[in-house]
Amino acid sequence: MDDAVGIIGYGRSQYERKPGQGELDYVADAVSAALQSAGLQARDIDGLAISSTTLGGDNAVTAAERLGIALRWARGSVAGGAGALVMARDAHDAIAAGRASHILCVGSGRQDGASFRDRVSRFNRAVGDYLAPHGCGGMNGLFALIQAKHMARYGTTRAQLGRIAVGQRASAMRNPAALLRDAMTLDDYLAAPPIAEPLHLFDCVMPCSGAEAVLLGPRDRAGGRGIAIRATGERYNHRPAEVVPLEGGWAAFRDDLYDAAGWGPDAVDCVQVYDDYPIMAAIQLEDLGFCAKGEVGPFLAGHELSFAGSFPLNTGGGQLSVGQAGGAGGMLGLVEAVQQLRGEAGERQVANARRALVSGYGMVAYGHGLAASALLLETA
Amino acid sequence: MSDDPRLDAVLLAWRERGELLIQHCANCGATAYYPRPRCPACASADVALIAASGLGEVVGLSRVHRGLDPALAAEAPVLLAEIRLDEGATLIARVVAERDEPVGPGMRVATLPKDRAADFPLPSFAPA
Repeated sequence: MDDAVGIIGYGRSQYERKPGQGELDYVADAVSAALQSAGLQARDIDGLAISSTTLGGDNAVTAAERLGIALRWARGSVAGGAGALVMARDAHDAIAAGRASHILCVGSGRQDGASFRDRVSRFNRAVGDYLAPHGCGGMNGLFALIQAKHMARYGTTRAQLGRIAVGQRASAMRNPAALLRDAMTLDDYLAAPPIAEPLHLFDCVMPCSGAEAVLLGPRDRAGGRGIAIRATGERYNHRPAEVVPLEGGWAAFRDDLYDAAGWGPDAVDCVQVYDDYPIMAAIQLEDLGFCAKGEVGPFLAGHELSFAGSFPLNTGGGQLSVGQAGGAGGMLGLVEAVQQLRGEAGERQVANARRALVSGYGMVAYGHGLAASALLLETA
Repeated sequence: MSDDPRLDAVLLAWRERGELLIQHCANCGATAYYPRPRCPACASADVALIAASGLGEVVGLSRVHRGLDPALAAEAPVLLAEIRLDEGATLIARVVAERDEPVGPGMRVATLPKDRAADFPLPSFAPA
């Protein structure tokens, strides 16, 4: 990939349990923070992409009017929680092709518990017609079946998967943006009330509102702090019609991804995966080659997963501790990775972080998620 | 009536006759639930709805305690299962069992009897 173009800014809005403003106001807050981190003004921006499923009739074009930015390039996402990473790749390529000079990529969502429940019951036609009418509580039941199958087939335990939630919480305690910052032990995790067994309370993300943004442009504008995108992958409808699969599509492009970067999972300093549930984070670790399929349980047991641990995972707390702000969830890991690679993560800084992997997952339909993506980043 | 005749057929067959309709592909032989415009295995348009036996096996199971529709809250926990039908297709559906009845992977299940079908919005099962 052309590494003259990279990620030269990042930012996030505040997160709120109950939305206190409109979604485009969260977008505006994340955009302002990203511009500030890059030392740029709104007039420098000529491209905007937004990944959201809660904007109604609004999108990057109407957002441009609200933000006072004239655009040469505007895009949206079709891939839910996998879409933000794909947008960043497309923004990179658009700049490399001369179609824009500076592009903001935003993930955003405005929701609370009630609006989230309503939204997931109408996620898409397959879910609305053939799953939601059972009345079994949104997506938890489906992911409970995935976890139950992984536990039965490979012997994975709740105590192993719980290390993800516990490690991420330790990082979140040092992230002022995270909504859930109370200390959590593995005993707390295991003793939490059941939601959809084997899922318990701390396996389930809390719906909230917020926005995350990265700014792409010429890396020479970033004073040595621009981050290079080394490789990306995306895959849709992997293994058609599969119901309750124990893989999500990342393995289909994994080898190409690492070949393009020239380095592999052993060289990654921090990992940011899409954590709608710990079991999906675990499956991404398997599919992306950090351990073999079925061996993620012992892998997790052998590592400490906080920012300071032997395997820094979702080092801002992930969606499990920050909160699930719709389309912002797909951008959360990318913003965190950029902050880490710039050495600007403060009290939760991963020591000597130079390379990061970020992955996305989304478009849950009948029995499986249809979209998988990943992106490899490196400091100059 | 919805805007999808396949959905309407599935719902009508279940409500009126207690039948589980699945899709069969004449080109590759695959079965699928739910029915779609093309075969999900081979993309053929030569697909048709057939009545399944209603018999299958539990692959995995979740006891759902929270987030249930208000009408189901008194029944909690509700059993949601991955079920592999004898015809080959896999679906996700409720298993309705007595509170202390053990239900788990490998268990044989059958669609609920015709006189109970209309109480459930989608095809649902009970231990066979």
